Amino acid sequence: MYKFLQHVINGLSAGTIYALVALGYTMVYGVLKLINFAHGDVMMVGVYVGYAVAFLLGRETATTVPGALLVFAVAMSACAALGFLIERFAYRPLREKPRLTSLITAIGISFALSYGFQLDWAVQDWTILPGAAARRFPQIIEPKEWLVLGDSDVIIWNWQVISFGVAVGLMTLLQLLVFKTKFGKAMRAVSHDHRVAGLLGIPVDRVIAGTFMLGSALAAGAGILYAVKDKSVQPLMGMFVGLKAFVAAVIGGIGNLPGAVVGALLLGLCEEFVVGYTASSWRDAVAFGFLIAVLLVRPAGLFGKFQPEKV
Amino acid sequence: MATRLSWLLALSVLALPLSGCEKKKDTGSGASADAKTQAVKAPEVKPADVKPTDTKTAADTILIGEVGSLTGSEAAFGISTRNGIELALEEVNAAGGVKGKKVEVRVYDDMSKPEEAASAATRLITQDKVLAILGEVASSNSLAMAPKAQEAKVPMISPSSTNEKVTAVGDYIFRTCFIDPFQGSVMAKYAKEELKFTKVAILTDTKSAYSDGLTQVFKKRFAELGGTIVAVEAYGKGDTDFRAQLTNLKKVKPEGLYVPGYYQDVALIAEQAKELGLKTTMMGGDGWDSAKLFELGGAAVEGAYVSNHYAADDPSPKVQDFIKRYSAKFGAVPDSLAALGYDAANMLVEAMKRSDELSGPKLRDAIAQTKDFQGVAGTITLDENRNPVKPAVVLKVDGGKFKYVATVAP
Amino acid sequence: MAELVRLGERASRPALLAVQDLKVSYGAIAALKGVSLSLGQGEVVALIGANGAGKTSTLRAVSGMLKPKAGTITLKGERIDSQPSHALVAKGLAHAPEGRGIFPNLTVQENLDLGAYLRNDKAGIAQDLEKSFTLFPRLKERQHMPAGTLSGGEQQMLAIARALMSRPSLLLLDEPSLGLAPQVTQTIFRILRDVNAGGMSILLVEQNAHLALDLAHWAYVLETGEVVMEGTGQALLGSPEIRKAYLGE
Repeated sequence: MYKFLQHVINGLSAGTIYALVALGYTMVYGVLKLINFAHGDVMMVGVYVGYAVAFLLGRETATTVPGALLVFAVAMSACAALGFLIERFAYRPLREKPRLTSLITAIGISFALSYGFQLDWAVQDWTILPGAAARRFPQIIEPKEWLVLGDSDVIIWNWQVISFGVAVGLMTLLQLLVFKTKFGKAMRAVSHDHRVAGLLGIPVDRVIAGTFMLGSALAAGAGILYAVKDKSVQPLMGMFVGLKAFVAAVIGGIGNLPGAVVGALLLGLCEEFVVGYTASSWRDAVAFGFLIAVLLVRPAGLFGKFQPEKV
Repeated sequence: MATRLSWLLALSVLALPLSGCEKKKDTGSGASADAKTQAVKAPEVKPADVKPTDTKTAADTILIGEVGSLTGSEAAFGISTRNGIELALEEVNAAGGVKGKKVEVRVYDDMSKPEEAASAATRLITQDKVLAILGEVASSNSLAMAPKAQEAKVPMISPSSTNEKVTAVGDYIFRTCFIDPFQGSVMAKYAKEELKFTKVAILTDTKSAYSDGLTQVFKKRFAELGGTIVAVEAYGKGDTDFRAQLTNLKKVKPEGLYVPGYYQDVALIAEQAKELGLKTTMMGGDGWDSAKLFELGGAAVEGAYVSNHYAADDPSPKVQDFIKRYSAKFGAVPDSLAALGYDAANMLVEAMKRSDELSGPKLRDAIAQTKDFQGVAGTITLDENRNPVKPAVVLKVDGGKFKYVATVAP
Repeated sequence: MAELVRLGERASRPALLAVQDLKVSYGAIAALKGVSLSLGQGEVVALIGANGAGKTSTLRAVSGMLKPKAGTITLKGERIDSQPSHALVAKGLAHAPEGRGIFPNLTVQENLDLGAYLRNDKAGIAQDLEKSFTLFPRLKERQHMPAGTLSGGEQQMLAIARALMSRPSLLLLDEPSLGLAPQVTQTIFRILRDVNAGGMSILLVEQNAHLALDLAHWAYVLETGEVVMEGTGQALLGSPEIRKAYLGE
């Protein structure tokens, strides 16, 4: 029983990270109808920025609440800027081109980032590019046991609770942003038809850039919580998580924010149970099998809706 | 429309993991080709590697090749090995080279992927026409390279691939380290007889020939000695979440946990075991050997035991002298991969000196005759299977360092 | 170039929009080969012509959806060609595009709110919203429904109401009768007449020449990217040529 409970906690904890990454994925897709394959790698860049900030602050300062918040703030701003650049110079010129073009560009950016960050480049004592090896991520959230059951049979850590809270909180905030604010209305209008949105005075380029920056900042936040969980940072971390988060977003119905969170938690649990009760080699096969099963029953994902296309 | 889109998504999702394992193999897309050239070329342009004569093989140089994981998951291994080889050749050339010629090495990065290692070996053989090849560390990668070298009759020395099958590929394949059966049985023996463990669990990497080799031997030997293997859990290289397996292992309360994996995975496993409250003594092999282990695993790897090729705190002057020269050049204490890289390069050079002609077959014969070669990681005499006969050491993680505890002779 | 026929006398009004020698191409195909037209304050000007004559292209060039290859477009004396659509809304242009361009996932209310995207006067917006509901009572009933659930006629009403929410000085309308039942079309044109009576200038593209000419003060007839005839709506309605070519007589 304890074992089962611990598996549930492990699964939710993994799912939480997928959820945080999937939120940004699904939001960018919702507005741009672009599967931003570079999302996970933008996340990775954010983690490295966070790493650098925590390193500069030093162990003492980085573990304080303001220190940790500063790590998040700088990483998220840096990724927002990166997101802006990617959108401005890679995606915007291709907006009127067939969608496949942007998709392939996205994959290209993904590779450029994940392999670019494996290069090793230092100017005197300053590391500019980090090199391929994994590094230990500083403990910006001091781990504390939040709940212990039995004789340490089940342990829930404070950072697991914080991550889960952040994921649910962000989902709610984003949902409010998209459905209750003027910017959100503009996002949805641009999502449907950016030409018509322009006719209404909506600055389409700015809305798209804004969405991208927001998505990238979210990725950075998610990445830092991920690094807190796994305590390490390495250039390929974004690819794997990005792929899983993408699957989660599709399971939940891509473009749908609560769907992304539910899909991610389900995926996390599903993977955990597969590894816990069968064998680890089955993990990805079952995860993708789950995706296919969901899509067969609900082609638009769990929460996705068919959009009647009236002319 | 929505239906069609979701199918498209499903397809692209399915296509990705398939292409995922060979992303770096050029699939024709411009993006991945770029990534490839970038990652492959980067180490070559490091100033230390490029000598002015590097572009052409002058008559007064001997060109050898090296394939290593300079990027990717085992980058720390590749870089250590690279440094060891670089130091060895620098010393050889400073001392006048071989037969009056300088020895140069051309290095290709395989990004820690077997398929890349194989194509790098082919490139060295067909394009660069190297005399011999040094590499790889990971057994899976060496196994991918060995058939290419064997077929072209180019001698290949793996500094540190411990899987039995590597040298079994053919008579042109050598190594400078002991093999898995020995390493696995050393640890099993040590666990049973010195640590007095009776219940041990194993967490093995099913995607790695190295990990599998150690697991098989450890399992057999530990049972022969009267111990019980209480559980075997598996993971795959590239996993970062081992909590499901560790939750299962916690249930069986093993005294020892044998993790014959590589440092990056081991560090995460140790951290997550601690997080889940799994109290056990971890044990491993030479795959743990990297300073990165302590950076990534921190306090979680304290108290663990590993079998290894050499100990940096070995007081012998040969070792200490090597450590001094290595530290002066690279600013770090050499790990065993660096030591084995150094030995491999020197063993090759020594054979080149003995060989009366610098051709593949002659050089092969010379290497095969290696006897009492004084390496920093032990004295090497090659047996008829081209494997060295040499002892192993058992080290304990203590205060963020490996401390020498025992030497186990073959 | 065909000889330009001019019928009737145009009442003099202060100029609002002037298009000079406008050329637009889609790749190698020339859609507009030099169109010139003008529109005065408070005027309804109609563009009529067969499919592919260049009516919609003209409208799109004016509202910044298409970049003209040559020619000038002037609004209130200011050059506006090659400015992006969203910047033109601020200058007083509103374009209800062909196919209505409503956002089906958004509610009627949200669609109307987006029409007032650039405005910040809450009281004024609320007032205009009430005005739209007076003009189109059907929309008030459907206020909180997704716009995708509206009938074609209601969607057209929404498109017009939404365009008016930006308080434009010039309304561009593309085929408001397209796909609608005759009765619904009648209603929409009646409302357009009211809107114009309130002082709104309208540039109208319409296939239904009868309705368009009936409403327009002045009209241009386009054929293969060129203006071939212009005149008062009434005069054109009386022209035998027009009756034959566009009114099916």
